[in-house]
Amino acid sequence: MDWRRYGPASGAASRPDLEQPDTEPYIKPMNRTLWVLVSAVGASAWGVIALNRGETISAAWLVLAAVGTYLVGYRFYSRFLATKVFGLDARATPAERLNNGRDYCPTTKWVLFGHHFAAIAGAGPLVGPVLAAQFGWLPSTIWIVFGVVLGGAVQDFVILFGSMRRDGKSLGQMAKDEIGPVTGLFAMIAILAIMVILLAVLALVVTNALKDSPWGIFSILCTIPIALGMGIWMRIIRPGKTIEATVAGIILLGVALVGGRYVALSPSLAPMFTHGGLTIAWGLMVYGFIASVLPVWLLLAPRDYLSTFMKIGTIVLLAVGILIVMPPLQMPALTRFIDGTGPVFAGKLFPFAFITIACGAISGFHALVSSGTTPKMIRREADARLIGYGGMLTESFVAIMALCAAAALDPGIYFSINAPLAALGGTVESAAAQIRQWGFTVTPEQLTALAASVGERSLLGRVGGAPSLAVGMAHIFSGAFGAHLMGLWYHFAIMFEALFILTTLDAGTRVGRFMLQEFLGHIWKPLGRTSWYPSNLLASGLITAAWGYFLVQGVLDPLGGINSLWPLFGISNQLLAAVALCVGTTLIIKAGKKRYAWVTILPLAWLLTVTITAGWQKIFAASPRLGFLSHARSIAEKIAAGTQDPVAGARLIWNDRLDAALAGVFMIIVVALVIASVREWLAVISGRKPAVVKETPFVESAYAN
Amino acid sequence: MRTDGRADGRTGGHWGRFLSGFKRIVGMPDYPGYLQHMAERHPGCSVLSERAYFEAQVNARYGNGASRCC
Repeated sequence: MDWRRYGPASGAASRPDLEQPDTEPYIKPMNRTLWVLVSAVGASAWGVIALNRGETISAAWLVLAAVGTYLVGYRFYSRFLATKVFGLDARATPAERLNNGRDYCPTTKWVLFGHHFAAIAGAGPLVGPVLAAQFGWLPSTIWIVFGVVLGGAVQDFVILFGSMRRDGKSLGQMAKDEIGPVTGLFAMIAILAIMVILLAVLALVVTNALKDSPWGIFSILCTIPIALGMGIWMRIIRPGKTIEATVAGIILLGVALVGGRYVALSPSLAPMFTHGGLTIAWGLMVYGFIASVLPVWLLLAPRDYLSTFMKIGTIVLLAVGILIVMPPLQMPALTRFIDGTGPVFAGKLFPFAFITIACGAISGFHALVSSGTTPKMIRREADARLIGYGGMLTESFVAIMALCAAAALDPGIYFSINAPLAALGGTVESAAAQIRQWGFTVTPEQLTALAASVGERSLLGRVGGAPSLAVGMAHIFSGAFGAHLMGLWYHFAIMFEALFILTTLDAGTRVGRFMLQEFLGHIWKPLGRTSWYPSNLLASGLITAAWGYFLVQGVLDPLGGINSLWPLFGISNQLLAAVALCVGTTLIIKAGKKRYAWVTILPLAWLLTVTITAGWQKIFAASPRLGFLSHARSIAEKIAAGTQDPVAGARLIWNDRLDAALAGVFMIIVVALVIASVREWLAVISGRKPAVVKETPFVESAYAN
Repeated sequence: MRTDGRADGRTGGHWGRFLSGFKRIVGMPDYPGYLQHMAERHPGCSVLSERAYFEAQVNARYGNGASRCC
């Protein structure tokens, strides 16, 4: 909905037909009634959540509380940001001035909203809240909803705004231009390192979802020839006919999904598609490497069309399913694991709930998209509010739905899927006994029946979030759209997640390759040429080897790998968000709006507190479950005592030290960036440096409406 | 310079608009939109063939690494 007013014109432009951001907030009486109503509904939903502690409540209350808060946040806070802080006005956007019918192209705001949302939504907001559900659903809900309104959406909006005013410059370029060249270089290194960790952890999520699952492996393998066929169709057979190729691709995906069931039931075919984690990990590396050096039209583009379509479709389906079923939340509001003893990952509620949820509340990666294709497509400045702020609110809503799906599961079942096998033991009996010790009840028969109902031999210890989310989604879908299809829905959800994670592996390896080639070009010129095939192969190989290394170590990790990799990913993602907020604050201060700089400084301060605490604990905590270094020491002691195989032990010790070093490097880079930014802010505020922004000069827009 | 708000490649008709919007959301090349853009903004210039436009767009979008999220 468009709530902007046509107030009195101010500033340079004074054409009455041009829309002007108003100077005073003004609400019509009828709208005032509406907003009182929206606020009241949101507040009462929070009230129900607050007062019904200890009783099971419906997921509908979470959805209502979240949506009510989003609406109020969008209507009031994002409007304040748009008019007071950023001063969106009637100037022509890069899309209008530089319109070339290609990357710079004015796009209707709702279409661009969809495009931007599809670009920022990924596996992160689905997996993070599922893992964080081990603390119960309450802390995650609060952080996802308020974190996005005051932090995540502000970050996306400020970077989109800054890039839009600078002809679509990237985050790294803005850091370089507005803060300093060294800062720009640090930001680039941070982005590269974070990319490697992201790819490793996502590949690990897929590996855990597919291991020993012939149905899953078969249907995911089928996506490769389907995408190749689409690519050949769109480029050679019927050039440019993307829609028909995509429709055919989606139908074939459905066939592959149903076919997987028969493969899993066939005694001769099933063993061909049953593989352990290590084989799948190597397969993913080979896939990532080959895909990232193939021409983009052959595999990446068609796969991206498929996964984007599936992503939007499934998210809409999930929202409808939750509204129809309104599942009760079986998970307690708070579990005993807030003390840091949780089996899914180690660490207390503070800071690890905030680290684990990652993308659903605030995600540094969005700063890369908000300073990528989207700012070049905005038609009018005022649209940036819906696209930047509103897009992130929608992503947060996806996280709330993922949380509902996980919390609607019986907690016993949730922990049987998400706790590592090392803790559960190998059998349903040992798992049920262990889960009883944690204070939840589940019978071995229930665990066996669940695995059978989704067409798997076992779901025990399938860490990584995706399988338990798929079980939760399958429950909701089969409740809403027909029971007896649990297995199909489960594998549909797995396929949906794997499909876009594989797209990310391909695209991410490519992004990493280009960044690496830029660095290597400084050492030896030819290595920087992206048209030189040997250089491409080398750089792609190096990036694949980097994430593949962490992936394989994660697979071999007796605790399941997610325990160490996901926090590392969360820390790195939140630190990238800190970088984006530093850049955003600099833009605001340099624009002469220092009295409003708190809008980015407050979330920045919170993020730094959370991530530095988490990073510090991951490196130095005394508990071997939590701290990398103490874990290394405990392994060394076991080797000395003869209870640990020395070769495997030496590898674990090396990995612990590597993880600790990586966390340390992330923290040092960000602290250096923050210091550089604060010095720049003080220089501008004290008047030692003129408050000048490097924006493109004002040109009035010709779009009247 | 006025393009009457139609510079975003919407061709006439509800179905055409829907397809154009869908393509843009998914990130697909929108050839009718491109033709309309060329007709409005650069009349008389030669236009790319559908195949050439597809290649150019796909390379522009993915060639130097699509920005991608977690």
